[in-house]
Formats: sequence, C-alpha cells, structure tokens
Amino acid sequence: MTFEPLGRSLSDFTVELDVYSGPYEWLLALILKDELEIFEVPLRELVESYLLSREPEAANGLERDTDFAGSAAALILLKSRTLSPALDAEAEGGEEEPLSPEELAGRLTEYMKIRRAAEHLRARFASNAGHYPSAHVVPPRPGRLHLRPERISLAARQAFSRLLEPPVRHLGPITVTLQQLAGLIRAALAGGPVSYESLTSEMDRLNRAVAFAAALSLAQEGSLKLSQTEPLGPLTLEPSG
Amino acid sequence: MSDLPPRPAHLVEAVLLVSARPISRSDLASATGLSEHETEAALASLAERYAPESSGIVLRNVAGGYSLSTNPNCAGAVERFREEARPAPLSGAAHEVLACALYLGPLTRGAVSRVRGVNSDAVVRGLIERGLLTEVGTDRDVPGSPALLGVTEGFLAATGSASPEDFPPLDSLVTPEELDRVRERLTSSGTEGEAP
Repeated sequence: MTFEPLGRSLSDFTVELDVYSGPYEWLLALILKDELEIFEVPLRELVESYLLSREPEAANGLERDTDFAGSAAALILLKSRTLSPALDAEAEGGEEEPLSPEELAGRLTEYMKIRRAAEHLRARFASNAGHYPSAHVVPPRPGRLHLRPERISLAARQAFSRLLEPPVRHLGPITVTLQQLAGLIRAALAGGPVSYESLTSEMDRLNRAVAFAAALSLAQEGSLKLSQTEPLGPLTLEPSG
Repeated sequence: MSDLPPRPAHLVEAVLLVSARPISRSDLASATGLSEHETEAALASLAERYAPESSGIVLRNVAGGYSLSTNPNCAGAVERFREEARPAPLSGAAHEVLACALYLGPLTRGAVSRVRGVNSDAVVRGLIERGLLTEVGTDRDVPGSPALLGVTEGFLAATGSASPEDFPPLDSLVTPEELDRVRERLTSSGTEGEAP
C-alpha cells in the first residue's frame, strides 16, 4: 500500500482524534510505518474533520480536495483489507458454505451480546479512569536484613553442638596445656606479628590444634588479633593495641 | 519517633503504600502479622479514612486485592505533574475484543475474529501492548497450538473490578425480545426471496 505524494497542499490540515492529534500528513506517515493501527482510526470522523476545515474558495481548494480524496480512499482500502475476515482452515481451498438463517441468527445473537458487553466495558473503563496506583515501590535491599545477635548465637550453638563424641583414638596423648601454648604465643608476639604457620611449624598435629585453640582464646580475651586476608588463607597473629 | 506499637490500620496502610499492585487480604495479613479479623477491621478503617469525598488517595478493592491509588477527582493535577496525558480511550473494536476474552475466554485470536466477523489480530496486539490482554496458555486441540487469550489484572484494575465475576452475565445484556426480533428479521429476510 502506498499513498500518492500530497504535494503539501494538506500541510496545514490538522486532525483531532482520540487516537491521534496533529498534522494529517504525520497521521498518514504513522499509519504507513505501522506505528498507528489503521483499525483505531475512525475514518468517518476524519472525513467530517476535513469537511469542517475545507476552504473551497482557496486558490488550491481543488488540489486540497483531490489530495484528501485520494489519501482518504487509500485509507479506506487499507482499513477494509485489514478488516477482512480471517480465513478458516476449513474454508481454505473451497467455497464456504452459506450460513443457514438459524446459524446466522446464532452468530448474530452472540455478536450482539458481545457488542452489549463492549458497551458495558466502555462505561466501566470511563467510570474508573483517573486512578493512578501508588508509585512508591520500594526496591528490596539485599544484605541489609536486621540481625539479632542472640539468634545468631543460638543458631551457632545448634549448628556446632555435637550429639556424639567424636572418635579420638587417632590422637596421641596430650602432652601440652592450653596455658603453656598461650605463654608460647605471647612470647612469640613480643617480637611482632607472627604467622600461625611459622609458629606451629615444629609442632605435631595435636599441638597445632591446641595452639589454634590457645590463639582463639587469646583473641577472644583481647590479647591478640587474628587476621586472615582471605578464607583458608594464611593466618597471622598480631599483638593487640 | 513513638515507641508505641503501630496500630493494625497503620501496618496495612504502610504495606499498601509500597505496592503498585493490589495485595490480597491474606497477603496483607501475612505481611503485617495481623489476624484475618484484624486485617478486615484495618481495611474497614482505611476505607473510611480514604473515602473519595475526604481524601486525595482512595482505597480500592480491585483485581482480587486492595490498593491505594489517587482519587480520580485529582487526576488532572497528577497528569500535569507527571507530564503525561491520560491514555487514549479504547476503540469500539478493542472493547469488543476485551468482551470476547472476558466472557468467552480464554480463546484464540481466530475465535475472537470469528465472533466479531473480522480479523482482530491488530486490535489484540494493541491490547497486549497496553497490558489489558495476555496469552494465558495454548489450545493444544487445534493444529499449531495457537495461544489462548485472557484478560489481565490490569484490565480488572482499569475496570474497577475485583474479579471477572464482577461483570453482569453475558445473557443478561440482551433481552429475549431483542433476540426474538433478530431471529424474526433474519427468518423473514430468508423467506422473502422464495416463491409464494
């Protein structure tokens, strides 16, 4: 579908429709670019609008009328093609059987009801227009949940409480006390920060575990600070203060 | 700031304020920790406070829930502030398609076109873009499994309806006398051409 060039004779013709308000030429352009449905354009209102603005005495009056008639005819053709009934699969390739009066009455009855329902809907839309819902949509803030320390302690106790004593047969006899290792750590820290690895490099597995417990205990009482730059990374013991 | 615990109506009001969509009564109760009875009483209290004649905000019971929205009497000011024109009214064709989806749906685009007697695809497309119509499934009994169309929550909100049951039954919209007149007219026109 193409429109003949209008020759700008209708450049001053503007239309006021529900679906569009502005120059007629732009209306045609929007329809051609599929940005406005021809379906939604009331052609009768369009013609009436032109008749109201018609200037038969103008120098280019005849040219305007001709251009409008040409473009309006194209719009009618376009709309009528768009409105063509959808092809039923059963009707394709053959003559569609004419409907009996009863069948036609049935279809018209159904359509009549839908028309009434459409009128009812129009009134419902009109009476409910102008309601704007709350725009105060607060986005969720991940990671900013309110935490209660006592709930975390309880959860930790539950998670780490052991119902069964772990097997200790693989462990040798404990030959060192927590206090002894705490003293050892304090002495090592007198010279500055020390890594847990170097501190325990000469120890057996059991002593390393007790040394770790001693370090945690000292950190809890504030005697030292533990720092670890990344999970499972090297652990450094630093004198506090 | 007061240390007093908030009243039930305040809790419901706060939750409604931060939701652009209608919230069901049960969701309100769940969010506020109120009982069903307390939620009901809170909503009744808010309905009174947000009556259209006394507030620029109104409480609406639409689309299966409750929502706060602006009073339509204030729509002009809201539209000027937002620098938005009110959406263009729907065409007659659009209303018919919505009526098909509401009363006969879910149904396919082809079914809509058959009821209306004209191709309705373009109108359907426009209504889907406006959020009033949506594809709710597929018709597996038809070759190609075409999409089934139904009305949306936005449609119910725009028509001020709590649910599709809020609309009058389709059969009640046309009187038996009117239907009889159509049948008579068709029958008489069908026999006019016949030889006496």
